[in-house]
Amino acid sequence: MAPGSPPSRNNGGPSSPYDSESSPIGNTVSTPGGPGRPKRGRRSSYDTPPQPLSGSRFATPGTTPPSSGANTRRGRGRRSSAGPTGAATPSSTDDAQPSSEAGDADEDEAPPMYVWGTNISVQDVNAAILRFLRHFRENPHQTEGKYMMAIHNVIEIEGDSLDVDAHDVFNYDSDLYLKMVRYPLEVLAIFDIVLMDMVGRIDALFEKHIQARIFNLKSSTSMRNLNPSDVEKMVSLKGMIIRCSSIIPEIRESVFRCLVCGYCCEPIVVDRGRINEPTICGKHECLSKNSMTLVHNRCRFADKQVVKLQETPDEIPEGGTPHTVSLLMHDKLVDAGKPGDRVEVTGIYRAMSVRIGQTQRTVKSIFKTYIDCLHLKKTDKSRVNAEDPMETENGVSGKDKEPVFEDKVEQLKELSRQPDIYERLTRSLAPNIWELDDVKKGLLCQLFGGSALKMLSGASFRGDINILLVGDPGTSKSQLLQYIHKLSPRGIYTSGRGSSAVGLTAYVAKDPETGETVLESGALVLSDRGICCIDEFDKMSDNARSMLHEVMEQQTVSIAKAGIIASLNARTSVLACANPIGSRYNPRLSVIDNIHLPPTLLSRFDLIYLILDKADEQTDRRLAKHIVALHFENPENSEQDVIDLPTLTAYVSYARKNIHPKLSDEAAEELTRGYVEMRRRGNFPGSSKKVITATPRQLESLIRLSEALARIRFSEWVEKNDVTEAIRLLEVAMQQSATDHSTGTIDMDLITTGVSASERMRRENLASTTRNIIMEKMQLGGPSTRLLELLEELKKLIPGEVHLNDLRNALTTLSTEGFVAVHGDSVKRV
Amino acid sequence: MVGMPHDCLANPLGAVRLTFEKAVASGYDPAVLQGKDWGTAELFRQFLFDDDCLSQVPMLSPSTLKWVQPNTLVRFRGMIQDMLGNEFYVGAYKDGDTWRTNKFADSSHSPINTSLDMQIWERRLLYCIPVPGQNFWVESLEEAVKNTHTNLISPKREKRPREDEAILGDVDMMREDGLSSEPLTTMPQTVTGGTFSNVSSVPDTEINYFSCRIKIYDTAESEMKLNDIFEFVGVLTFDPEFPVDSVDCDGFTQSICEDELVHLPSSKVSWIHCIIHRKLAVNDFLSGPALELMPNTAKDLREALVGHLTTVLGNDWVAAQYMLLHLLSRVHARVDSVAVGKLSLNLTCLGKDSMSVFGRNLKFAIECLLPFTRTLPITINYLNTISLTPKKDYNTNRLVFGFLQLTEGSHLTIDETQLQAGTLDSTGVDNARVLKNLMESQTVEYDFTYYKMEMPVDVQLLILSEGKSHILPADLVLPFRPSSVEAPLTVDEETLKAWRWYLGMMKCLSHSIDPDVQKVVEDDLVAARRADRSLGSLDFSRLLTMGRLMSISFGESHLSKEHWQMVKELETIRKERLQEI
Repeated sequence: MAPGSPPSRNNGGPSSPYDSESSPIGNTVSTPGGPGRPKRGRRSSYDTPPQPLSGSRFATPGTTPPSSGANTRRGRGRRSSAGPTGAATPSSTDDAQPSSEAGDADEDEAPPMYVWGTNISVQDVNAAILRFLRHFRENPHQTEGKYMMAIHNVIEIEGDSLDVDAHDVFNYDSDLYLKMVRYPLEVLAIFDIVLMDMVGRIDALFEKHIQARIFNLKSSTSMRNLNPSDVEKMVSLKGMIIRCSSIIPEIRESVFRCLVCGYCCEPIVVDRGRINEPTICGKHECLSKNSMTLVHNRCRFADKQVVKLQETPDEIPEGGTPHTVSLLMHDKLVDAGKPGDRVEVTGIYRAMSVRIGQTQRTVKSIFKTYIDCLHLKKTDKSRVNAEDPMETENGVSGKDKEPVFEDKVEQLKELSRQPDIYERLTRSLAPNIWELDDVKKGLLCQLFGGSALKMLSGASFRGDINILLVGDPGTSKSQLLQYIHKLSPRGIYTSGRGSSAVGLTAYVAKDPETGETVLESGALVLSDRGICCIDEFDKMSDNARSMLHEVMEQQTVSIAKAGIIASLNARTSVLACANPIGSRYNPRLSVIDNIHLPPTLLSRFDLIYLILDKADEQTDRRLAKHIVALHFENPENSEQDVIDLPTLTAYVSYARKNIHPKLSDEAAEELTRGYVEMRRRGNFPGSSKKVITATPRQLESLIRLSEALARIRFSEWVEKNDVTEAIRLLEVAMQQSATDHSTGTIDMDLITTGVSASERMRRENLASTTRNIIMEKMQLGGPSTRLLELLEELKKLIPGEVHLNDLRNALTTLSTEGFVAVHGDSVKRV
Repeated sequence: MVGMPHDCLANPLGAVRLTFEKAVASGYDPAVLQGKDWGTAELFRQFLFDDDCLSQVPMLSPSTLKWVQPNTLVRFRGMIQDMLGNEFYVGAYKDGDTWRTNKFADSSHSPINTSLDMQIWERRLLYCIPVPGQNFWVESLEEAVKNTHTNLISPKREKRPREDEAILGDVDMMREDGLSSEPLTTMPQTVTGGTFSNVSSVPDTEINYFSCRIKIYDTAESEMKLNDIFEFVGVLTFDPEFPVDSVDCDGFTQSICEDELVHLPSSKVSWIHCIIHRKLAVNDFLSGPALELMPNTAKDLREALVGHLTTVLGNDWVAAQYMLLHLLSRVHARVDSVAVGKLSLNLTCLGKDSMSVFGRNLKFAIECLLPFTRTLPITINYLNTISLTPKKDYNTNRLVFGFLQLTEGSHLTIDETQLQAGTLDSTGVDNARVLKNLMESQTVEYDFTYYKMEMPVDVQLLILSEGKSHILPADLVLPFRPSSVEAPLTVDEETLKAWRWYLGMMKCLSHSIDPDVQKVVEDDLVAARRADRSLGSLDFSRLLTMGRLMSISFGESHLSKEHWQMVKELETIRKERLQEI
C-alpha cells in the first residue's frame, strides 16, 4: 500500500512533524543492532538522532523514492530517484544497508535482515508474501492464483491498489497473518515491494504503484477497547463517520527557484515532515544566499483528509457517551466516506506526540492517537450494516466467522435443541406482558419470518409475515409493539396518526443546497428487511393506508413524481395495531365494522389478533398480581428461565441468516390436508349454504408460518408439527377475528368482502323474494309501485326484520339485471 | 516542588513520586503493570478519610480558583456532563536507570528524550459541571464543614430570589454576581408578567458557569456514568501551553488534535488529575445523619412537613398529601420500558392569580427541601426556541448541555400556566415530544445528529397548569383547592434540615409487601376493575406506587392495610374533585 501512487500514503511520517513518536518503518535493520532490543525501543532507531527518520511509515518504494524513509539519515541526499521498485527496501535504515538491494525484492544474497526488535526476517516475510500472492487459490480447481488474477486485473485497469482479504492470508499462512497484524508497518512495506516487483515483471512499463489494501481482519476491535498495546498494530473498527475535514494538500516534493539567476533546483522531497529549503543557490555561477523561493505549481502534493469516526450506538454501554477516533485518509481513500456512513475501517493504530508549541521541538507527554487508514468498507449504504441481525439473505458466507462468534453459535444451537424452545422463546418475548401467549407466538413467527421465494418468471412470494393486533385500550398492544421494535434492530416505530403516505413510503424532496431532487426514504423503505411497527393504524389517513397495499404484498414502493420514477424495495413485515372503532370492541359488529379498515388491506395480514379485554375475574386477578409483583418484588428475580434480550436477538438473527427451511413431503401433505379441511369446514352437514373458509392467501400464510416455526427450531425441514401449529395459530387468530357472529363459523368472506356468507345468503334470499313479489304483483310496463308497499309485502313473506335499506339493496340488484327500474320512491317493472 | 515526604496536601506529586519509587524498589515493574495503581490511592485514602483531612482540601470554585496553587490537592464536586474519551500519555519513562512516572501530572520534569524507554499508559478525560439546579443551601452546608484555608466561598448558583432572603437569614448570602444575572431573553413572561417572578433561576441553556475537567486513572469505565455526581480529589494543574498550540498549527495537527480543548476559552483550562473519587448520592448533600430512623421521628416529621406543605398550598390538605408522596417518589426499578416508582403530579386549576401566590411559595418550599430543583416555564415561544435535550456538537466534539440533562433525583417543575394557543414549529413539537417521553418513560433522548440515544433519568415532575395538561400526561391529576392565602411561615434552618433528611432517607427505604396485605390489595384491585372496566394497568400501577410511598412516608418498609386504606381514600377524594370540574 504504501507505495502509494505517487507519493504514497506515507502520510504520517512526513506529514506529521511529530514523528518523534511514530516509529518509522525504518526499523528493520541488519542483524547486528537489531534483535534483542525491547520492542518499545525501536521507537528510537539506535544511532540515528532522536527523531527517527520519518520514514514513510511504509517504506514504500515510492516512485519517488523520496519518502522511502529508508535511506537518508540526516544527510539524506535523497538518493536520487531510484527506480520504482524497491527504492527503499524497508530496511536500510542504516548506512550499512544502503539501497543496494533496491532492484529486487527477494534478493537472497543479502545478509539476513530482521524487522527491528524482533526475529522476523525480512527475507522470510518477503518470500512468504510472494508465495501467498502466487499460490493462493480459493479452491483447488482454479488454475491461477486468486491474487495473480487480481494483479493482472489491476494492471489492466491501471488501478493503484490491490485489495487483499486478510482471511485469505490467514488461511494460507497464519504466521504471515500474525506478523502482518503485529508489525503492519514493516510487513506492509515489504508487501508493497513484493507487489511492485511482481508488477514490474509482468509489465515492465507499468509505472503506477500498487498498494496492498488489507481488509477483513479476523477480529475487529471496538473503539472503546483500543488501548496503548494496540499502538502500531493493525486494527479493524466499525463505526460511523461523523466528520470529514476538507482535503488537505500535503506537499511531497518541492522545487525552489533562485530569485537572482532563475535557476531551479532539483525537486526536494519531504523529509521527516519538513522541507529543507536550500539557503544557497545551487548554480555554481550564482551561489547567492537566501535567494531560493518556492515555486508552487511545480511542487507535488498529495491528498490527505482527517475523518472522525464515532462508535455506533449499539456499542455504547449504558451511561456512556460515544467514543471517537480520528482516521487519516490518503489519496484514493479521501472522500471515500461521507458523514453518516457506517463503515468498517482497517488501519494501523498510531500515536503521535504533541509538541508544546509550533516552533518548539519539545513535546508534551501526551499522545494523540489516530488510525492510518488502509481500507474502508462502507457497510450498506442505506442504514444497516452487513451484520444486520434481520438479514435473511444468505449473503454473508459462513467462512468469516470469528471464533467468538462460533462459540456463540454453538450456544445458540444448544439452545435450539431444547425440546421446549418454542415455549421458552414465547415466554422470553416480552415477559412482562402477561398472557397473550398466542399473540406472542404469532409475533415470534413474525420475527423469524418465512422464506421469500423468487420465481424464475419474476413473480415473488413474500416471506414476511404481517400481523394486525386489534384490541381494547389498555391491553398492552403498544407495549408489545415497542418490545418488538426494540428487538428488531431494523424496525421502525411510527404512529399512524402522525404518518402521512409519503412519510411511510418515500418522497421526493429538493435538496436545499443544490436544488436537485432527491428521493427520501420513508419508514417502510427504511425498515426494509425489518419490521415496521405502526401504532394507531386505525387513525391513519385513508390515503396513507392505501399506500400499504403495494408494500404488503409486492414488497416494493413505487414512486412516480417530479421526474423520478422508482421502485424501492420494502421487504418489511408490518406489525400494526389498532383500536376498534368507538375505542371498545363491539361484539355485535363484525370485525370489519369494528376495525373499520378496508377489506383489501385486511386480507394482507397473515394474522389478525383480536385482543379483547374480557370481563374475567381470572384475568383481572392475574393482572393485579402482576402489577403488585412489579412494584414490590425485585424484578430481576421474579422471572426465571427466560432468555435474555441479547441472546434472543442473536438467536433470531442467526436463524434468519442461516436457516432456510424447506417443506418436507409430510408437511406438504399436512398443509394440503389442513387447507382442504379449513375450506371444508364451512360446509355444515345439512346446511346448503356454502361458506368460504379460507383463501389461497391463507394457504400462503400457512406456509410462511410453518417455515417460521421450523426456523425457530433451527430445522432445515418443515415438519408436520410445524404445519399443525401453524394451522392452530391461524385458527386461533381467525376464530377470534373471523367468527361470523350470526353463525359461529370461521368466515373468510367477512374479512375479504366485509359481508358474511349468511348475510349474503339473506340478501340473495331477499332479492329473489322481491323478484317474486314483483313478478306476481306488477305488470310488465304497468304502473309503478311505491317502495313502502313493497316493503309491506316483503315483511309478510320474510320472517324477521326487513329494513327499507335492505329492500333498496335488493332492488338495486334487480335493476342491474334489467328487471325493474327505480325512480326515486317508485318501482317500475320493465 | 519538593515537599515533606507526606505533605499530601501541598505536594501531592511528591507523595506520588515517593510511593512510586518505593513500589519500584519492591519489584513493581512499570513495563508490565501498565500503570496499575501502586499504592497511591491507598495512601491518599488513608490521608483523606482515616486521618480526616478531607475538609482541609480546598473545594474548587470560581473564587478559590484565584488562590489555589497548581500542583496542590483540591477537590471538586460536580456532575459528569460529558466524557471526552481517552488519552495516552507517557506514564513512566526511564531516566538513566531509574523509572520515573508521569502519572497524575501533565508533563515530566525532565524533557522527554525520545531515546528513553517509555511506557504509554491510558487515562480518561471527563468534563464536569456543578450539578444543575443545585439549591443555595447545599453549598452553604458544605461551608459548615469549613475548610481551613478559605475565606468565605460564595455558593455558586444561578440566582436566588430576593424576596426569600429575609426568610433564610441564617444562610450565607448569595453573591448576585454577573455570572447569573443575565435574564433570559427567551422568556418574556417572566420579566413582564411578574407572575412567577422568581423563575430567574431557570434555564441557562448554556452552561456558562464554572466547569472542571478531570483526568481519571485506574477506573473501570462502567463505574462512571454520564450525569452521575462525583467528588474528585486530585492534583490541580493548569494548561498554559495550549493557547500557543491552537494558534498556528498546520491543518493536520489541528484536525487531529482538534479536540475539546481547542474550543474552550483558555482561562478555563484547569485540570484535576484525580487520585480519589467517590460517587455522591443526593443524601451526601444533606447535613450529616443527625437523626436516627425511628418510627416516631418519621411520623412526627411527616406530620410537620405535611402541615408546612398545607400552609404553602393554601390549606389544601389533600394537595399537601399528594405533594409529599410526589416528593418521595423515585424510579426504583425499570422493567422493559416501564419506569416503576415514578409519580408525576399535575396540579390543575391554577389560574394566573393563584399562580402568582401559590406558584411562588410552592417553588420556594420545594427549593428549600430538595437539593436539586429546576423550573421550566413553558410557552409556545419558549418551546420553539429552547433546546431541551443535550446535543452533540461535532464541530467542537462536545456534548452541548441541554436543559434536561439532569442528575438522578432532580426535581423539575413545569409551569404550563403561561401557555397560550399558538403554533409549534418543528423544534417545539420535538421539545413537546421530549417532555412527553420524559413524563411517560423517564428517559431523555440525547441527540447525536446521526442517531439518538436514550438515557434513563430519574426526575420528579410537577406540572402546574390551569386545566389538565394534555401535552404532559402526568400520573396524577389533582385540581388544586386553596381555601386561604397565608404567607408561609418562616421555617428555621434546623427544621428544614430535618425535613431534608427525612425526604432523603425515606426515599431510599426498601420496601416489600406481606402476603396477606398483598391478598387484600389484589382483591381491591380486582373489585375496582369489576366496578369500572376502564381501569387499566396504569391506574393499578399508580395506586401501588402511592401505597408504597405512603408507607415509606411513615418510615415503614412494609405496606400496611391502613396505609393502603389511606391511599384509596385519597384517591376517592381526588376522583370527586376531578368530577366536580
